[in-house]
Amino acid sequence: MLHLLTIDLKKLTSYRTFWVVVGLYFLTLGFTTASGMEFLKWLASKGAEFGTSLNINRIPLYHFPDIWQNLVYISGFFKLILAFMVIISVTNEFTYRTIRQNIIDGLSRTEFLLSKVLTNVLLSVLSCLMIFFIVMLTGLIYTPNLELSYLFSDIGFLIAYFLEVFAFLSYALMLGLLIQRSGLTIVVISLSHMLEFILKANLDDRFPSIIPFFPMESISNLVAMPFPRYVFQEIQDYVSITSVAIALFWTIAFNYLSYLKLKKSDL
Amino acid sequence: MQTVLSVRGLTKNFGRLCAVNQLNLEVKAGQVFGMLGPNGSGKTTTLGMLMGVTNPSAGEFSWFGEAPSHTIRKRIGAVLEHPIFYPYLSGQKNLELNATIKQADPANIAKVLELVELTARKDHKYRTYSLGMKQRLAIASALVNDPEILILDEPTNGLDPMGIAEIRQIIKRIAADGKTIILASHLLDEVQKVCTHYAVLRKGQLVHSGPVDDVGKGEELVEVNAYHDDLGLILQRFEGAKSVKKDGANYSVQMNEGFHSHDLNKFLFSNGIVVSYLATQKKSLEKQFLEILSENKPA
Repeated sequence: MLHLLTIDLKKLTSYRTFWVVVGLYFLTLGFTTASGMEFLKWLASKGAEFGTSLNINRIPLYHFPDIWQNLVYISGFFKLILAFMVIISVTNEFTYRTIRQNIIDGLSRTEFLLSKVLTNVLLSVLSCLMIFFIVMLTGLIYTPNLELSYLFSDIGFLIAYFLEVFAFLSYALMLGLLIQRSGLTIVVISLSHMLEFILKANLDDRFPSIIPFFPMESISNLVAMPFPRYVFQEIQDYVSITSVAIALFWTIAFNYLSYLKLKKSDL
Repeated sequence: MQTVLSVRGLTKNFGRLCAVNQLNLEVKAGQVFGMLGPNGSGKTTTLGMLMGVTNPSAGEFSWFGEAPSHTIRKRIGAVLEHPIFYPYLSGQKNLELNATIKQADPANIAKVLELVELTARKDHKYRTYSLGMKQRLAIASALVNDPEILILDEPTNGLDPMGIAEIRQIIKRIAADGKTIILASHLLDEVQKVCTHYAVLRKGQLVHSGPVDDVGKGEELVEVNAYHDDLGLILQRFEGAKSVKKDGANYSVQMNEGFHSHDLNKFLFSNGIVVSYLATQKKSLEKQFLEILSENKPA
């Protein structure tokens, strides 16, 4: 396993695009999630100009345990950047035809796929570590009366976040293997939510019960939007087992389709 | 001798096009095996199937008597069509990656770089290499796992005469080490110069196979000239001449079996003619190849 991961990392770590894209990803992910209080302060100062007062200390954005869902939800938007990197990495193998040489050199097709999947796991784990680190740092700074029991009570969102990122990267890998051209794949993945939305809008009246089973929908259902709770609306403040099951199903399906495609094609 | 590759009934269809049709081949240890055929005759498709990148439609093959698998491929070094590397990696890094995939000893990298004379440029990015350097790096990567068999597909394609000579030297050096080499090419001269055995493919079918030494056996063709006006007529009387043709300034004499150029020389001398030019034309692989192809042209 480690051998396969080493192979893919050897391809990536000397690739400048990889460092730029992944670097920008972690930088924006870190800064955005850590600067929510600054955003609230800015919002309050804008409000003050128009005579409305906003007491930012009343919004427990960074208080344990709310912070887990808040930050994980925001982080979810950045996974698209990581998906671009996965697409570039896999479509490069077709553009340079290096996938062919890898197989000739003695990698099996399954091993080739596994080396890409393992990189996806690594990127998802790193994203989780990054968020864990930022939650701990900002949470400990901003939570006024820290109660230890609240510290990890909502850590389940971090596991949901792992699945969210990994499922989406699996989708990116599959698209890359199917389409094999980076530009086209990037367009398709960027429009995936939109295309699915059009489909859902047309089905909503007749079959509302099947909506949660759509792939993109299932990935975004893992972590519900938390912010309406600050205007006293009810939200889903837990990770539902059903949505985990559906997302897990799609993750396995994406990777299995990648496997089938790779097994069958002449490279 | 141990059989390293045995192919039985190998077939590949691309839609309605049959690229390789019922191919049977046998390559034994120590041979330098040339695969000949015009462009599009199925050489690369065949090698692609043997190396696991193209799925065969029918038939089977075995390496070292074993069913094909990715573990067996690690014992083979192969470059198909043209060199394939990561353009943004240096030659050294590319070879490190190849060695990791093949689970080869990284200490070999320096050795093979030295063999193909790329040590000085090893830290430059692959995309800055000239075509000849790319071909040489490809040979280096094929050798990095110290393979028992080396497969080269058009290794001198697109090279200048010096590059071709260099690659030929490298191949000869490797063959001298006792390695089995399979060389696909449409450059017949190349095959004749380095190969011990050869097979000819045409439209995906095997039309001939045998040792290269057999080429040129059989009847001789002798070119002759002399300062004598009736040379043509006198040559006709020679019992060893099958046919006499005026070919430019010279006469070319197709000899009967068992007659050689010295017999012709003796005959002319006894007739009072001293030759000014006498040359034995060995049948080249090129001629043989064209003959084989025209013989097998389907009606």
